[in-house]
Amino acid sequence: MTVDKAQAGADLAAIDNMVARVKQSRIYRVSGNLAVLWGVLQFVQWGVASASPANAPWSWLVVDAVGVAVTLWMLRRALPARLGGAGVKRQLAAFALFYGFGFVWSVLLGHFGDRETTVFWHTLFLFGYCLAGLWFGVGFLVIGLSLSALVIAVYLLVGPPLFWLLIAVVTGFGYILCGLWMRRA
Amino acid sequence: MAAPDDVIHQPVRLRVMAALSADGEGLDFTQLKKLTGATDGNLGAHLDHLARAGYVEVTKAFVGRRPRTTVKATKEGRAAFARHVAFLKEIIAEGG
Repeated sequence: MTVDKAQAGADLAAIDNMVARVKQSRIYRVSGNLAVLWGVLQFVQWGVASASPANAPWSWLVVDAVGVAVTLWMLRRALPARLGGAGVKRQLAAFALFYGFGFVWSVLLGHFGDRETTVFWHTLFLFGYCLAGLWFGVGFLVIGLSLSALVIAVYLLVGPPLFWLLIAVVTGFGYILCGLWMRRA
Repeated sequence: MAAPDDVIHQPVRLRVMAALSADGEGLDFTQLKKLTGATDGNLGAHLDHLARAGYVEVTKAFVGRRPRTTVKATKEGRAAFARHVAFLKEIIAEGG
């Protein structure tokens, strides 16, 4: 069997292409699982806040803390550094920046009402999806833009008390459906 | 100069070994089919070929009620793939 330079180049390119596709497929799978997780957490958070409105801010903190911890665990398990995943320190830094930025704007500078704060955090989270789409595939961009549009539409068109239920439905079902779609993509 | 690996050289098997080497933890049959673009029968035949050479390990199990076939590169398969890649790079370096 003889292999010339052109054939060798084509084979190496095919290998590189396959490696990139496997990595992207793994990223989509773990991201899909994470989206399902956060979708379920939206319903949990809404359920707790509805049952006990006085504890709504604390339930938000607890649910998000659980979400971040499970996210870090799932990322470490499914996307270790040797397969192109970021290290735990970088993931923690990403969450710290995300929550730090959100806190500064929603609490210190923004003077938002409850509805605006809710929409702000959801669209900030989804903005991360849009940015991720520039590196990891168009699926992230589609999810970020479409769910952001739905969240903003609910904010503009629906007043309380239906607003909270619809936000939970849009984000909860939205993340779950998008997660299932990403796992199949 | 090193020699090409006759088993891995075939295009579908080359893509299968590249995918399995990149993943490290094994891929299921459906994922491999999607990644390689091969049909069920074609991929099955190539996996048999790779398994006979000792390059992959095929495990069949049930997840719930659904059968699931998982394919993983063996240590020998990884080594053979690494040698084949080194051979291809050598050709490029030497100008074919």
